[in-house]
This record gives sequence, C-alpha cells and structure tokens, in this order.
Amino acid sequence: MKLLRPQVWSLSVKLPLTLSAVVVGVSGVIATTIILQDHQRLNTALEEKALFMARAVAATAIEDVLRNDFWSLYKSLRQVATGLTDQARDSRVLTGMVLDSEGRVLAHLAPARHRLGLPLETETEPEAEFKERSLALRQGAVAWGVDGKTGFVEGMVPIMAADKHLGVVRLRLSTIELDARTRAVTATALGWTLALALAGSLLGAVISIRMVRPLSALNHAMERLGRGEAAGAIAVRERDEIGQLVHGFQRMAEELANKQRLEREMARDEKLVALGRIAAGVAHEINNPLAGLFNCLSNIRDHPDDATLVRRYLPMIEQGLSRIRALVQDLLIELRAEQAWEPADVLCLDELRDLIRAEIGDAPIELVWRNKAAGLARINKPRCQLVLLNLLKNAVQAMPDGGRLELETGVEGETLTLCVSDTGIGIPPENLSRLFDPFFTTRPSGTGLGLWISYRLVVSMRGSIVAESRPGGGARFLLRLPIDGGPPVREMPT
Amino acid sequence: MPKALLAAAATPAVRFGLTAVVVRENLHFYDRWSAYLESRIGHKVAFVQRRSYREIMDMLEADELDFAWICGFPYVQASATIGLLVVPLYGGVPLYQSYIITHRDNPAVALSQLEGSVFAYSDPNSNSGFLVPRAQLAALGWAPDRFFRLSFFTYSHAETVQAVSERVADAGAVDSYVWDYLRRFQPEQVERTKIIQRSDLYGFPPIVYRPRTPPTLRETMARELVAMTGTAEGRALLDDLMLDGFSRQTPGLFDGIRRLADRVPRTPAAP
Repeated sequence: MKLLRPQVWSLSVKLPLTLSAVVVGVSGVIATTIILQDHQRLNTALEEKALFMARAVAATAIEDVLRNDFWSLYKSLRQVATGLTDQARDSRVLTGMVLDSEGRVLAHLAPARHRLGLPLETETEPEAEFKERSLALRQGAVAWGVDGKTGFVEGMVPIMAADKHLGVVRLRLSTIELDARTRAVTATALGWTLALALAGSLLGAVISIRMVRPLSALNHAMERLGRGEAAGAIAVRERDEIGQLVHGFQRMAEELANKQRLEREMARDEKLVALGRIAAGVAHEINNPLAGLFNCLSNIRDHPDDATLVRRYLPMIEQGLSRIRALVQDLLIELRAEQAWEPADVLCLDELRDLIRAEIGDAPIELVWRNKAAGLARINKPRCQLVLLNLLKNAVQAMPDGGRLELETGVEGETLTLCVSDTGIGIPPENLSRLFDPFFTTRPSGTGLGLWISYRLVVSMRGSIVAESRPGGGARFLLRLPIDGGPPVREMPT
Repeated sequence: MPKALLAAAATPAVRFGLTAVVVRENLHFYDRWSAYLESRIGHKVAFVQRRSYREIMDMLEADELDFAWICGFPYVQASATIGLLVVPLYGGVPLYQSYIITHRDNPAVALSQLEGSVFAYSDPNSNSGFLVPRAQLAALGWAPDRFFRLSFFTYSHAETVQAVSERVADAGAVDSYVWDYLRRFQPEQVERTKIIQRSDLYGFPPIVYRPRTPPTLRETMARELVAMTGTAEGRALLDDLMLDGFSRQTPGLFDGIRRLADRVPRTPAAP
C-alpha cells in the first residue's frame, strides 16, 4: 500500500502535513497550557471565594453563636449566599450551614431538611467525612468534592472566640459554572488550533508547491537526459539550495552534451581510421598474391618457349587468384549481410545442420545439435545464420583430427544464448584479444575476415560474443542476443 | 416661604420612634407621613428605627425621643414613666390579638401540639409575639422554655413570618395586625403559613410620649393624629397603614396585658 509508506509520498504532501503537524503540536501545547492555567486560576478564584464567604459569615457569627441567635446566623448565611447569587454568574451556592462544635445545626440554608439544634444528618460516607473534617479545623480551609453529579468546592471556617472553638461555617459552591467556562475556553482553543492548522497546511502547500516545482522540472529533465534526449531549460527564479542544484544540473547536462558530441566526433574519426585500415588491409592482402602473379607472368614472358614454366606456374597463378576471389567473396558476403533483415524463429538455424554435415564430410567429427530455443525466440535469420555458419566452419577446421562439435541454444530471461564448442586445437591466450580483429588469422588460407564480420553482425543486433579457450582443449563461443530479433537494420560498428 | 415652614426648619425635629409593631421597611411611606405631620404641626418630624423594643424604650427614658409607637407590653411595664398619647383603630376598634402560625404543611392544629419544635418569638418585650404565647403555654401547664426544643427572637413580626415560611422555625407568634398587613401587601410568604390559634383581644400597640415632651406638642400631635381621618391625605396614609384612625384611650385598655404580665413569670428571655 503506497498510502502506508510515507517514504514514497510526494514532497507536496509531506511538507504541508509536516507543517500542519508542527502547527497543531505547538498550538495544542499552547492551548493546553492556557486551558490548564485558566482552569487553575478559576479553581483558585473559586476556592478563595468560598473561603471568603465562609469567613464573612464566621466574622459576625461569634456573638450570634454565643447568644444562640439562630435567626441572625440564618440571615447572614442567606445574605452572603443571595448576594453571591445575585452578583456573580460563575458560581452558585449549593448549600451552606453553621454548626456548633458538637456538629449540631445552628443555621442551614435548607432549614426544612436540617432542623435547628439537631446534629447534622449526613446521608453519605463522604458527607460524614466532610462534617468530621470541618469540625476538626482550627483555621479556614477549602475542600473539593462531588455531590451526585455536581462538583463543588467548600469553604470551611471555624468560629473561634479566644481559642475556644464555637463551631464552623461551611459554604459550598458549585463548580458547574467553572466546568462550563473551562469547556468554553477549551472549545475556543480547539477552534484556534484547527484554524491555525488549516492556515499552516495552506502555507505548507504554497511553500511546497514553490519548492517542489523546480525539483519536478529537474526530475523530468533528468529522465529526458536518461533517455538520451536534451535535458532542456529549467525555469527557476530561486537562488537557494534548490536553485543552485538546478543550475548545477544544467551545467552538468551541458557538459554531458559536449562530451557526447565529442564522443560522436571521435567515433566518426575512428570509423574513418578503421575504414582506412581495412582498405589498407584489403590492398595488402590483394597485393601479395598479385605480386606472385606478376612474377609468374614476368618469368613466362621472359621464357616464352619454356613450357615447363607454364606447368609450374599455373597452379601458383590459380592459387593467387583463388585467394583474391575468397577475399572479395568474404567482403561481398559482409556487404550483403549488412543490408539483410528477415525475422524468423530460431528454428531456422536447423537449416545449417546439413551444410555443416557436408563440411564435416568423412572427418571423424561428432556433431551434437541442441536447438532448445526453437519456437521460443525470434532472430534476424540471414545475419544469425551467417554468424553461426562462420563459427561452425571455424570449429570444423580447428579439428583436423576429428572430435566433437556442439551447438546449444537456450533462452535466459530476455536473452537468447547460442553456444558453439569444439574439442579442437583451442586458442592460445595471446590470440584471444585479437580474435575479432580484421585480417587476423592463424590459417594460411584464411582471410581473417570471418570472425571480424561475425563480431560486427552480433553487435549490430544489440548482442555480444565472447570466445573462450577451454582448459581441456578446444574453444567455445558464446553469443547473447535479444529474443525479439533486434532492430530491422542498424548501422554496423567497424 | 411660609412662616410655619421657616419655624419648622429652625426648631429641632420631633423625634418619633418606630418598633416591630409596624412594618418598617416601607421607607417611602414614612417620608410621606413625616411630611404630612410636619405640615400639620409646624415641626420637622423624624422617624427613628431601632431593632428592639428595649432600645426604643431606653431612648424614650433617655429623652432621646418625643414619641414612640410601641407594644402594649412595654407600655404597661413603663406606664409609670411614659404617657399614653393615642391608640390606633384597627377594624374600628383599638384592639388586636396574637396569632400562633405554622408552615401550611405542618400537621399541628393547636399550640399544644408544638412540643419539641423550634419556635420564633418576635421580641422579648412584645405582647403578641412573646408574652401571649408564653402565657398560653403557662395556662396549659408548661414551662415555655422546656416546651420548645429551641426558640429564638426575630425582632420583627414580619421576619417571624419569614422564619416560619422558610421552615427555620416550626412555628411562631405574630401580631394579628402585622400578619394581616403582610397578607395584603406581601402575600408570598404569608401564604406559606397558616394560623393555628388566635388569642384573646388586647389593647392595640399605642403611641406614647415621654414625660418631658412639651404638653403643647403632645396635644398638637394627639390632635393631628386623631384628625387624620378628616383629611384626604391623612385617609390615604391610614389606608396604607391599614388602620381606621387614631383614638384617645385610657390606660385601662391595657389591663388585659397587665394581667398577663403579672401571670407570666419574668424568666430570662434567652432560650
């Protein structure tokens, strides 16, 4: 799944995502801090308020408690509670009471339920604990708790007269309003975080588009360069690292183009040189027999009456002419093959089998023919047949005392392999590197053009040819060709 | 500027004390009443409020007040030193009674059923709010301070109604005039209470004067108060007070209270 692998995501996705993540992270941290601080501040304010209210009641309560003035206690409790309810919306008095040091009710904001003079009834365990705790206090304190679903904070202030504990004032404020305020702050902070994240994403998108555009152009240019086309100009205004990269690439592409132009020129020069070399070779090869022929003719002309000379020279003349004819034939074959293109199945190579049998004749040579690629690949029939025939003939000639000649074809992936091996005299290591040079031959009657032509044909078919001398004697030629038969006609290397 | 008003501005104000026998919260009413009296007697009239009867009585004895509207009980206690000016007419007569009230949800139907409950008195020197219920309990054979589990003073009949309606107290004793007045003008709290017992009729809380109040001022004040029914403005003020007028009475009107006071032992007021 591409979506699950961030390393393949486009920069134009990653950059906005990263920026959004950073913005969300930062604003989230800030928002959380603000919310927590605000909550803390409100908590503290509520605690102070609860304590302040309880103190306000306690301050006037001493006389009333001493005089059992329950009505005054009730009125001051109510006054504080109503005063708060009237002026502030951020908290509400849930309950309030004045207890004597024994825990009896001296005043209560719910007088119908909590009767004057009776011990405060506590219906739950936490309430009982609150009561015990408030009675044990010798100075003001606040406590947090939950009553049913309502959170509260309670201010507890003891009523003390000259070290004597007379009772305690308890005032309980609801935290519902506080929680609502915190929720409102949280919603605001969340809204801002989302808005900032959106802004961050947009900013990231803009930045990444500006960053990625030259990179994409660079990428396309590199692909064109890889296909051998001109890289083309890349418009880039930035002078930052990306701009420098693009400029660097453009310089490199220009230098590469220069290099390729130089190489083409050098190759053309080399070709001309090679052509000259071949022309010189042909001239030399023809010149040698010609010299002998002219020598014979000169002797015969000098001694017109000597019939023995004619008998003696005729074979020599024939041999010289034959050599010239062979040379010309080879060159013609090469010329023909150069133009030839006829796609066919590998099976067509079997046509050569009888030709080779004829070449072997009575020689004690065993021919092993394994055309396993037949039906699996296509080849350029005239070129391939010429190359294979050359190799097979060479192999037959390399085994004057007989032996074993083997052809094996096969397919490896997209490659057709052709292997010709013999058990003949083999190739000396020093000759291996010159084997495919024109006019290189070890046979007196050879022209030295066969392997050179084969090599050029193989290369023209986008293939390769390798020669090996086998340790146990004999030679082995391995051809590799594309299985689609290669291009119709391709310029042959020299 | 009329001469009378100049005189009123020059002479010291006539000081008139108010107690829990009337509902004191309506300050606009007292502004109107003082303005009315000023225009009639030619003296500036200042109403003075204190929390308890005791404070007003102390001020009378200390000559800090010229007149005061007090309860019959403090009047009979101090009748040797203060004089009876006029007595309001309520329902045509100078009489009122004490109501024992409870919250309307309280099942009790008589004072005798309130044993062990919390009771609200108005003032230790109040006839209807203290003396009468204690005398009633004494008549039933109870020591009042043992009959109730707890009792406290509200120092205002109106607040006694509030204490009972909010169930701070189970029951309380109130002035019938104040209860009726509240039922008309502030019915919400009164409607949460009910009367379970009505006492005998007693002399309505009187307006008294201090011994050193100049007789002419006394006479003028008495005359003008009684004459309020004769003026439209006076009648409007009386309507607001829910009274029919003021009448001259003899101290004998308060013999009933005097007998009660003699009957009930003067136990300490504190519960």
